[in-house]
Amino acid sequence: MSAYLIAITILTLIYVLLALGLTLQFGLTGLINFGHVGFFAIGAYTSALLTLNGWPVGVGIVAAAVAAMLPALPIGYISLRLRDDYFAIVTLAFSEVVRIVVTNAREWTSGTQGLPGIARLYASLNGAASEWAVLGTILAVTLLAIWMITRIARSPFGRLIQAIRDNEVAVKALGKDPAWFKIQVLAVGAALAGIAGAFYAHYITYIVPDQFVPLVTFYAWMAITLGGASRISGAVVGSAILMVLLEGSRFVHDFLPMISDSAMASVRIGVVGLLLILCIVWRPQGLTGKRGDA
Amino acid sequence: MTTTSRRQFLQGAAAGAAVLSLPQLTFAQSAGVFRIGALNPITGSGSTFGTGMLKAIQAAADVVNAAGGAAGIKFEVISEDTQTSPQAGVLAAKKLLDVNKVQAVFGTWSSGVSLAVVPLTNDANVILMNTSGAPALSVPPANAKGLSFRFQATNDRFGRAFAEVCVKEGFKRPATMAFNNASGIGNADGFKKAWEGKGGKVVAGVVYEPNQTSYRSELQKVLDANPDVIVTGSYLQDTTIIMREWYQSGIPVKWILPGWAGSPDLVKAVTAPVVEGVISVDSVSNSGAESYKLYDAAYQKAMGKPGSSNVYAAMTWDMVITLALAIQSAGKTDTDSIKAHIRAVANPPGEEVFSYEAGLAALKAGKKINYQGASSALDFDEYGDVTPDFGVSFIEGGAINQKYVVKI
Repeated sequence: MSAYLIAITILTLIYVLLALGLTLQFGLTGLINFGHVGFFAIGAYTSALLTLNGWPVGVGIVAAAVAAMLPALPIGYISLRLRDDYFAIVTLAFSEVVRIVVTNAREWTSGTQGLPGIARLYASLNGAASEWAVLGTILAVTLLAIWMITRIARSPFGRLIQAIRDNEVAVKALGKDPAWFKIQVLAVGAALAGIAGAFYAHYITYIVPDQFVPLVTFYAWMAITLGGASRISGAVVGSAILMVLLEGSRFVHDFLPMISDSAMASVRIGVVGLLLILCIVWRPQGLTGKRGDA
Repeated sequence: MTTTSRRQFLQGAAAGAAVLSLPQLTFAQSAGVFRIGALNPITGSGSTFGTGMLKAIQAAADVVNAAGGAAGIKFEVISEDTQTSPQAGVLAAKKLLDVNKVQAVFGTWSSGVSLAVVPLTNDANVILMNTSGAPALSVPPANAKGLSFRFQATNDRFGRAFAEVCVKEGFKRPATMAFNNASGIGNADGFKKAWEGKGGKVVAGVVYEPNQTSYRSELQKVLDANPDVIVTGSYLQDTTIIMREWYQSGIPVKWILPGWAGSPDLVKAVTAPVVEGVISVDSVSNSGAESYKLYDAAYQKAMGKPGSSNVYAAMTWDMVITLALAIQSAGKTDTDSIKAHIRAVANPPGEEVFSYEAGLAALKAGKKINYQGASSALDFDEYGDVTPDFGVSFIEGGAINQKYVVKI
């Protein structure tokens, strides 16, 4: 049982890292980023390619964060001219551009064949010990990210980005330039997504462009919507609920064998959808949010 | 408000933990049972085949159990859905291996899922039988322990079959068009490798993106090289558009399509005159063999459709029978013994058997057997790959007529 639980926890933490970026970008700053998976993909491919070419995994993860941050600069620059919904479309397009480039840059990424045999973290340890070590590392990184975002939220910088969310014109009137702050927020969220991508690549050990579809972005959005977009705990709670729903249905099947697997897939999506609707109707601020939160 | 939500959350978490702890009670190990994990693409892009593959595994396990099991051990099938996604496939495999304690995993379909699952089955020292095409599955690191067995032809072999057809039909200037995914490109690259190995030259090669409404520019690029035949790694939807646009262009050229594209549905979609003379190549199920008839009857019963509608179900059927015969032959259920006996019961030499009952009787009589599967003759090479035969069909007057079989 334990190895399966560890696997679920590791993937949950990867989603927490993704969701934390959105909490910072949307919950605190009000940027609607529908292209989160693009940064995730850049991180995954950067680290995979570096380690496949002989670099150590640690270098790969750091490089993943840096590489994911780079496109945040031009996208942040675009965001200066675009209002919320247009920015959402541009980011969505960005993530699709990343996927299509990765698909077609066959010399580097082997395109749709994917990259097999990516090095695992702590591969020198045997099975269970290496799983625990991976879990510990991702947990530590996630806690660090939570601590960092908490610090950001409470700092003068954090108050300013929340002011941008609530009234951008007022911020400008006070003589502050929102643009640079938005770019920084995007870059930090992108770096978190890049690190998540690197961990994902080294955990699954095989990546292919099909894994980086917009659905991943929307899973992270579901997580923060369920958990509470403006709360850091919301990203954690929401990701955990999402993973329990997605994986829990496997066990329902073991207890209720008369429900076929194909019916179960529909039930699973249906339950997630129903929960989202109920959440929006009754707790639009999310499970962890206070009444009056966005 | 905050306290309530925290309480609700804790209650939810406690309930979740309780549910997760239950399976340990339910799935306690019991003696005399061999657990098979059926890891099929029930949903996602493989969903057309997944349910049928699962039903074939269950039906074959019933056959084995009805005959008294393998070496007296009954099979139990536990199924999971890969959702045709590597991530979901990894979690499903972890659950099967770790919670259900399965002793073999059968029927991963897409190469992506198989490549992501094979490190886990290797770690657990469990046999994985798949129906994927990617060449990477044959060799280390994926198949470092030799525990992965492939029941489908590799994309390379498809390419080799295409090259054989080109030689046989006397084509000199082939070009390729490939759908941009692992299988499409695998077919085209496999063909290129085989054709150049024969000293030929591919005059043009185009890779196209899925879901376009027109492929005119890609087609023009290929036709500009003046080929005498175009070999494709394509699917039905895109082939339909390509065929229509080619027919409108009026340029004479021959086509070689993989069987899943050059199908009756294609003829229906574009009308017979358009595809007259097009060549369709597919791995043939062992359709003349007795084992295929047994599979066909079981598939018909489980799914209400003919067995020919799902070549992968024939493969998963064979997986169960092969495993059962290997266990019977070994007399033990540990992975190393099974691995050692799979080739012993499936490859020549030996008495050719077509059903589990016949194989069981022959093994009990102390004979060496060679199981002839429903999907192919099932002779595994050193990489755990099989080499099925390829049927070459011509579309004539709207009918798809198989003319000859190519052996590679």
